[in-house]
Amino acid sequence: MTTLTMEKVTKQFGRNVIAVKDFDLKVKDQEFLVLLGPSGCGKTTAMRMVAGLEEVTSGQIFLGDRNITDLPPRKRNVSMIFQNYAVWPHMTVYENIAYALKLKNMDKQSIDLVVQKTSGMAKIDNLLERYPSQLSGGQQQRVAVARAIAVNPDIFLMDEPLSNLDAKLRVSMRTELKTIHHKAGATTVFVTHDQSEAMSMADRIVIMKDGEVVQIGTPDDVYHRSNSLFVADFIGTPPTNFLKVVIKKDQEGTHLKNAHLNLLLEPGTAKTLDGYSKEKLILGIRPENIILVNEEDASLSTSCLVTEPQGSHQIIAIQLDDKIIKIVAAADLKIKTGEDLHLNFKQETLRFFDPETTLALSD
Amino acid sequence: MALAINTERRRKIGKQIVPYLLVLPVLFYYIAFWARPVVQQLVQSFTSLEGQFTLNNYIMVFTDLNFLPALRNTSIIVVFSVTLEFFIALLLALLINRKFPGSGIFLFLTMIPMALPAVAVGALWKTGLTTNGWINSLLTYLGILTEGGKIYWLAGSIWKLLALMIIIDAWQVIPSIMIILLAGLQNIPKETEEAGYVFGGNYFTVLRKITLPLLSSTIQTAVILRLIAAIQIWLIVIVIVGFSRMPVLVERIVYYHEEVPRLTISPAMASGYTIIVTIIVSIAALAYLWVSGAFRRKRKEV
Repeated sequence: MTTLTMEKVTKQFGRNVIAVKDFDLKVKDQEFLVLLGPSGCGKTTAMRMVAGLEEVTSGQIFLGDRNITDLPPRKRNVSMIFQNYAVWPHMTVYENIAYALKLKNMDKQSIDLVVQKTSGMAKIDNLLERYPSQLSGGQQQRVAVARAIAVNPDIFLMDEPLSNLDAKLRVSMRTELKTIHHKAGATTVFVTHDQSEAMSMADRIVIMKDGEVVQIGTPDDVYHRSNSLFVADFIGTPPTNFLKVVIKKDQEGTHLKNAHLNLLLEPGTAKTLDGYSKEKLILGIRPENIILVNEEDASLSTSCLVTEPQGSHQIIAIQLDDKIIKIVAAADLKIKTGEDLHLNFKQETLRFFDPETTLALSD
Repeated sequence: MALAINTERRRKIGKQIVPYLLVLPVLFYYIAFWARPVVQQLVQSFTSLEGQFTLNNYIMVFTDLNFLPALRNTSIIVVFSVTLEFFIALLLALLINRKFPGSGIFLFLTMIPMALPAVAVGALWKTGLTTNGWINSLLTYLGILTEGGKIYWLAGSIWKLLALMIIIDAWQVIPSIMIILLAGLQNIPKETEEAGYVFGGNYFTVLRKITLPLLSSTIQTAVILRLIAAIQIWLIVIVIVGFSRMPVLVERIVYYHEEVPRLTISPAMASGYTIIVTIIVSIAALAYLWVSGAFRRKRKEV
């Protein structure tokens, strides 16, 4: 296992389409790194360049100290798990796993050993003589996993490996892939567009948009310290609520105001705005950080639009002008549609965004 | 209760009958326009001019001086043209499937011979191969042949003619084989080949261990369909070298049926050759159905 370094990697298709632009990335040894972004953001292209399935237009890629930028896939010592499994239908499970080992001229006995070990890890050791057409989607994915482990690669690449599985299996496979990751101690790059998948699996998440990196950080970082409107909106279900406000300062302190809201910032929070000279601001608040309070403590009073019970909690929706704001509240709270609500915010969790640059004000 | 079972049973029978009812119209057509003439031909091949049962027709065919040469020529054309055509078509299909810039135009160009009917192909090459034809003119123009020096393409041994025929046949049918193989290649998910590269394969290992095995059913279809068509080669043979110079099986049928229909032996020869060709083609067709799995009742699935 080893590190992966990408330096100013750019991929251009044709004359005008830039799929990945000046991509810089350092994946640490044994790290589980997730490339996350909406479809078409270049995350898969970035991964395919590491695998050698796409040529790099400019920039360098290193595995450890090895420059692999221009090597063919077979000389890179990477392994990959594909979205549609890409197991070979004309080979048995055993042959699928053994393919790479045979090409390495490993002897029959060692191959048997590796196949036994990896198929055991992937829990398909009882299916070795079957053909892929005789397996379920989940089992085929396990074959792909075993095949990937068997070659003992420097790095694992996983291209949306769970998105073809049904919802329940997908969630249980997350746990398994993570367990296998720990057992194999493998440096892993995992591509997905599913933010909850990314949050639950990643050591670090790289969020991409239009071929460029928007934010790199731990799941905690990107969730609680989103660096832009895009990230705050993309991460979390329901996503961050945004309120357009103006800044008013008086002897009481700093207020954030709009037609519905009058929020007096605590001195600590107000400090964040110190270097900010514009009047308008976008306030970002996570649904679970809006709290129900008494009327006299409220910064915002309105009525409940609907409630969406979720079992473990409930989501309360309110409407401010044409915007729906969502609040996560305890499940046992009895709230009816149309009921008056008095709300306040957990101030330490507020994020402020410049409406022009869409970037977060640094704290 | 008994009534209920009865209706249940009737419904079941009704359900089983439906598929047969649906193929019935085709069956009628088949019997009227295909089976009837075939049976007629078969009967005729065992009937003497006087209307008696006889094996004489077949004896005449088998002792015909042209029979063995026709069988030999046909076999040579089938073996060599199908082999040549398959390999060139596969190379072209693999090349075009790589989708390089201009591959669309290249595909279009390679398809042109397929659009021409066999007679036109024959005529095109015939005008080229005559002593003052366009091939000699072109070679002279390019300076490969000296003025006045001509190549007599159509003169000489039967082997030269066979080679020419194989080349011309290949020229015409390579596109159709290529298009079948290309369709097959495009049905192979890109990722299965990419996985082959990632897990240690170079171009040839991926081709040998992944692409070709996945293409095998398409290859079977293309080769056997082509084989059947090659057994029935006749038109371009006649157009280019005429009757009887290079006998092939179907050419013999046409010869006795169209060229010399009034000879007393003609009906017997024509029907005899027809049945022999039919049997050979049927064997090839059965071989195709067998390898394509039509006789296997169950698939390899659980």
